[in-house]
Amino acid sequence: MIGVVPTLNACQGEHSLGFTFVGAKGPGEDLFLSFHDLRLAAQRRAAHFAAAGLRRGDRVALIVPEGEHFIPAFLGAMWSGMIPVPLYPPISLGKLDAFMDALVSILNVARPRVLVTTERVGKVLWSAVGRIPSIEKMLTAESLAAEPAGPLPPAADLRDDEIAFLQFTSGSTALPKGVMVTHGSLAANCLGIVRDGLKIRPENNDVAISWLPLYHDMGLIGFVLSPLMAPISAVFIPTLSFIKNATLWMETLHRHRGTITFAPNFAYALATKRAKPGQIACWDLSRMRVFGCGAEPINPETLRAFVKAMAPSGLKPEAILPCYGMAEATLAMSFVSLDEPMKTDRIDAERYHGDAKATPVTNGAAVLEVVNCGRPFPGHEISVQDEEGRILPDRHVGELCFRGPSVTAGYWENPEATKAAFRDGWLRTGDLGYLDAGEVFVSGRIKDILIVNGRNYHPQVIEWLVDETPGVRRGSSVVFTRPGPASEEIVVAVEARADDPASLKARIVARVGEELQLSVADIVVVPPGTLPKTSSGKLQRRKTREQYLNGSIGKAGRGGSTRLAVARHLALSWVGRARHEVRKLFGG
Amino acid sequence: MAERIDVVEMFKQAAFEVDNRRLPDLKSDTVIASLGMDSVAIMELVSYFEEKLGVRIPDEELSKIRTVRDLRDTIARLLPDRQFAA
Repeated sequence: MIGVVPTLNACQGEHSLGFTFVGAKGPGEDLFLSFHDLRLAAQRRAAHFAAAGLRRGDRVALIVPEGEHFIPAFLGAMWSGMIPVPLYPPISLGKLDAFMDALVSILNVARPRVLVTTERVGKVLWSAVGRIPSIEKMLTAESLAAEPAGPLPPAADLRDDEIAFLQFTSGSTALPKGVMVTHGSLAANCLGIVRDGLKIRPENNDVAISWLPLYHDMGLIGFVLSPLMAPISAVFIPTLSFIKNATLWMETLHRHRGTITFAPNFAYALATKRAKPGQIACWDLSRMRVFGCGAEPINPETLRAFVKAMAPSGLKPEAILPCYGMAEATLAMSFVSLDEPMKTDRIDAERYHGDAKATPVTNGAAVLEVVNCGRPFPGHEISVQDEEGRILPDRHVGELCFRGPSVTAGYWENPEATKAAFRDGWLRTGDLGYLDAGEVFVSGRIKDILIVNGRNYHPQVIEWLVDETPGVRRGSSVVFTRPGPASEEIVVAVEARADDPASLKARIVARVGEELQLSVADIVVVPPGTLPKTSSGKLQRRKTREQYLNGSIGKAGRGGSTRLAVARHLALSWVGRARHEVRKLFGG
Repeated sequence: MAERIDVVEMFKQAAFEVDNRRLPDLKSDTVIASLGMDSVAIMELVSYFEEKLGVRIPDEELSKIRTVRDLRDTIARLLPDRQFAA
């Protein structure tokens, strides 16, 4: 299998394909870097790294927001077999302390010898560097662009089982885990994406366009490494520019004649909300082959609203491409086939929650709508397993498990976590779902990870904050998510003898917002002793969530009203309008 | 002469336009994160200020902004020729 580094090495003379960085030369002025020049730029960085004393296998931390600096530095480290560790830059409002703590905790696991950052970000970071003993040197991305004194090194001859880079999963600060992406798993996944998933052919004249952050697997593997392997050109919009002005995404697809883009669910909601009819009418999105959606739970209502809103631009419904993946599988696990519009499965909610079966709805029963995420790439397999690891038949709900050449070698220097992630050669995804004739449906999560706007949160961290709120007893809160119009939304259930539930709720919202910059969508205050508990007295998160969704929360021993439960569930299954509908139904 | 910029009032207007939120009690020492807006909405709010005032807040400055007053001070530094409400 030809890996990323040999592919880059073969780019000499490739002057027409390359990467474009929107606005990198100033407002409205884009920077184009051909793959020929990218190869040279990476080689230059590799020479600087060698001059700094770095050797094969050494980690290089990268905190570089600008793509035109990040990509050559990342590839330059890989070029000589060093291990880049891409990290997110401090760009969210007022979270500098939390950012520094997370950074220190990740880098003390990765133990890089060198930290590469930009001059501007470096000014913010310097105070954290003293807390990371392994760092011998800070290099600026700007200085790495200079012509090196020594000769340009040849590409290292890399084995498939050598680590290409470490991918630390977003959001988790307690005991961060670095997914080891090997050169072999990387090549296998990129190949699956470009050859089998996207069916890239020269005659398609594909252009991939992305605003995704480059420290995130979908941005880095999906839009830097896969286009390089294809090879096709790619265009990068700075992430923050998109967040501040979501119409820039569609604008760029139009202007650069894009054919492929990907984003998490929340971005489609944001783009729909921000685009004005006058703008949509001016865009030509008829060339778009792929609007991929993944990285967080997919809300079919969001994608339908997007297709409807963008119809005047010539967007084809079959361009919508739900997919399923995770960092432990390098990136992608399954893709829907290209010629099909989004397909969903409407299953009986009662049987899903009660018997863990995905039964298509026949009568007027309450409905759960689940998005079809397609099939795994050739050479890869997905199975559904029960708690003992037995493989379940079609339409039985269990844990989705994955195996094949894209699977990670494990977590960096963490044999316990690695052992826990696998069973009998299968990667345990921690996601709940089912299969039907080889097609995968993702319906929830077993792992207690909350994904909001593409970031992962440990519910315990939020529960601890809630528990510290005056008026709340320790260990009496449960945090989970519900489907929201754009992304998953945070719900807090808390047992309290609240004389003034409104002010308790306000305190919790403020506390969680302040500490984590997370918006709490709903808080349910219930009498002590009414949330479901395990035999050892611990609150049960999944059970509480189920009760919340079917409207029986806090009614232990009294039996929830069935009519109310069904009505509420129906309302919630229309996720796009969930809050609105519930309010209307109950006059709230 | 250009009128004085009242960041607290602009903030209220921005929160309403971006996130449909009414913030009658907002003060200059309000911690922005305590308002319970998510990170995407907050960045949209920053963009509202940038557009209305024609400034660009450098990305790395954002992480230092905690309160509405911090935001005001950051913008005031970028617009030395304009007058700001306290």
